[in-house]
Amino acid sequence: MKTRLISAMLAIACVAANPAAAPAQGFQPSKPVEIIVHTGPGGGADVLARALTTMIEKEKLSPVRMQVVNKTGGGGLTAMAFVAEKKGDDNVIALFTGNWLTNPLLRAEAKVSIKDLTPIVRLVLEPAVIAVKADSPYKTLKDFIEASKKNPGKLKQSGGSITSRDNVVRQLLMKHTGANWVFISFPGGGERIAALLGGHVDLMVIEPQEAGEHIRAGNMRVLAQISDHRLPGYPNVPTLKEAGYDVPIVPQVRGVVAPPGMSKEAVAYYEGLFARVVQTASWKKYLEENQFQDGFMKSTELARFFDEFTNTMRTILKDAGAKVVR
Amino acid sequence: MEVINGMLHGFAVALTPVNLWWCFVGVFLGTVVGILPGLGPPATIAMLLPLTFQMNPTSAVIMLAGIYYGAKYGGSTTSILLNVPGESASIVTCLDGYQMAKRGRAGAALGIAAIASFIAGTFGVIALMLVAPPLARFALSFSSPEYFALMCLGLAMVVLLAGESLVKALLAMLVGLWIAGIGTDLFSDASRFTFGMTELLDGVDFVIVAIGVFALGEVLGNMETREETQMLPVPKGLRNLLPTKQELKDCRFAFLNGSVIGFLIGVLPGAGSTIASFISYGIEKAVSKHPEKFGTGVPEGVAAPEGANNSETGGALVPLLTLGIPGSGTTAILLAAFILWGLRPGPLLIQDNPELFWGLVASMYIGNVMLLVLNLPLIPLFAQILKLPVYMLYPVIFGISIVGVYAVSGSLFDTWMLAAFGLLGYAMRKLDYPSAPLILGLVLGDNMERALRQSLMMSQGDPAILVSRPISAAMLFLAAAVLIVPLFRKANAWRIKAIEEQL
Repeated sequence: MKTRLISAMLAIACVAANPAAAPAQGFQPSKPVEIIVHTGPGGGADVLARALTTMIEKEKLSPVRMQVVNKTGGGGLTAMAFVAEKKGDDNVIALFTGNWLTNPLLRAEAKVSIKDLTPIVRLVLEPAVIAVKADSPYKTLKDFIEASKKNPGKLKQSGGSITSRDNVVRQLLMKHTGANWVFISFPGGGERIAALLGGHVDLMVIEPQEAGEHIRAGNMRVLAQISDHRLPGYPNVPTLKEAGYDVPIVPQVRGVVAPPGMSKEAVAYYEGLFARVVQTASWKKYLEENQFQDGFMKSTELARFFDEFTNTMRTILKDAGAKVVR
Repeated sequence: MEVINGMLHGFAVALTPVNLWWCFVGVFLGTVVGILPGLGPPATIAMLLPLTFQMNPTSAVIMLAGIYYGAKYGGSTTSILLNVPGESASIVTCLDGYQMAKRGRAGAALGIAAIASFIAGTFGVIALMLVAPPLARFALSFSSPEYFALMCLGLAMVVLLAGESLVKALLAMLVGLWIAGIGTDLFSDASRFTFGMTELLDGVDFVIVAIGVFALGEVLGNMETREETQMLPVPKGLRNLLPTKQELKDCRFAFLNGSVIGFLIGVLPGAGSTIASFISYGIEKAVSKHPEKFGTGVPEGVAAPEGANNSETGGALVPLLTLGIPGSGTTAILLAAFILWGLRPGPLLIQDNPELFWGLVASMYIGNVMLLVLNLPLIPLFAQILKLPVYMLYPVIFGISIVGVYAVSGSLFDTWMLAAFGLLGYAMRKLDYPSAPLILGLVLGDNMERALRQSLMMSQGDPAILVSRPISAAMLFLAAAVLIVPLFRKANAWRIKAIEEQL
């Protein structure tokens, strides 16, 4: 209680000392804002959260400090439950990823779904590339798909679980072409790459930045990019559509949500805050360095996106053979 | 030549006052983290990561690596003194280390652990420096069938860990394998044995099980005897606190065994230090002249696993630095750290940043010396804890265990699980079930199941893939031999007994 009081006083002091950042009316956070992430330090969501807080501090966009809170466990379900418990708390926000949308579909244990939380903004779309080993006989995605049609079930792809994007892309391509190849799950990204470089599998879906290093070392080749348009880092590699496979692009998505029942004023405040963040030069540099795409979307649009994404994923997951519980 | 130039360059980097300081900070923190049960190097490195953003990447990696291998030194302390494994790789050290302490050789056990750690740690660095690139390529030829065979070999060690009854050991192992199955299935993302609890979705952390079964089980069992005045003997004088010449001589092979096995298993992405320590302990017992004494406090039983878990550190850095592939939880976090520092981790890391690689290697030589100097004088101090009367010592063990488990996750659920596994450990002691096979099953179960399923997916369901590949076939053969040979010996003993009775 005492620390709360002190932090509240500090917050008031900060607001008083920093009048330029405070708009005349509407909601203002009264104490440091907590950003909940579902990964430990160094994980994808955590890195994004720390990048965001650094930018917000540097550009003095918030009257109060923002602090990252790691609530790991249950593939994001622990963090979601934590956010749901903060009902009505206008000083808590959270970073969501695609997991937050798909996991509740698969888990009978989930007590909270993304629909229970308040959408704020969508921020990033993370594209991916399809890679083979440098000495692979498959020069194009077509080569690979034709080969897998000739030998159904012989070619192999390494990836995460069957609900991961890696497999979703495979399902969509197989459905579109009638080809058939095997998907082998490995728990860590390192093992997936080791399986490809060791020649034990033929194909993998990998982050553009990570693939870049292996291409530079001459170990890997990229056949296609899972993106709507060509990434700056891969100007000569066709997108899936350009390669002749017009399948829906399922992006890895990241953005901001808030506890249930957040006040309208607070939603507008955070929406405005992140709208200003994505305008900054440091945000643009961050996207470029990581080869991410700007996926900015406001609250009402994001709510619609959640519905569409959930429906698409439900169908894809069912096709993939996962047990969908809701 | 290249290596010598590299090393000279590396020492020039590592011996700057700033880097010496960060190396010391790293190994010191590592020792502390190793001593505290529960809190392991991955969690510590993850927590400290945000603080390193402002640092020079070379200094930062020197410090974080110091935590990584430093923890392996400290991990043995509570294993030996209190039967509380300080971290997952020190679970095996409990088996003989705690027994040595019970016989009044706590200081000797700690000394041997430190010396084994030093020898194997240095061996790991030398190997990292000399054979990293070719070995990394060799490691890539390991795939799921080979991992499955390796896990089978590990599981075969159960015969060596069994006490009186092999049946009881096998039962305990099966329970361990079952616990390993709790959580989320990697392949289908389906939940298994979670009973609707989100807390179980990530599975059961084997450090919790090990602390519960070993430490709390031991304390509960001892409390029952109500011998209030029974204290563990602590010999007086520094000389008696250090290992004798004979004890060191007994460990000669164990130092080598631990160094080599630890490094080789470390290089494989997808094995790990806990598996390395189990396997080197098993090999040590298998080649020993007096295998029956293992588990009663033999110095080799401490030297082999402690060596293996230190040498593993050098091995685990091989795929990370040469291929950009993290092989364990800790190296995965180091990989994330490289990205945050603006480096490009990948196959070209060494080529792009030679000062980082050679600086790190040189700092690891220095760090290992620092750790030996830091740890040896602490031994008499730590051994004093055993002078506490049991009515103080037992609550201390309870406290350390509970705080250790809670500190990692901050979850009360884990603390309840600790209590449950403490009761399980107590029941197992009462019914004379060995606890090491349970931990063995738990450590290997997940990896083994995964490797088997991956292999069968690769071969479209044909189990021949497991025996048609030479490395995998050889390891499976070895595993079968480990299982069958003692049975022959036993059968022979029965036959002789039967013949004698007839006469």
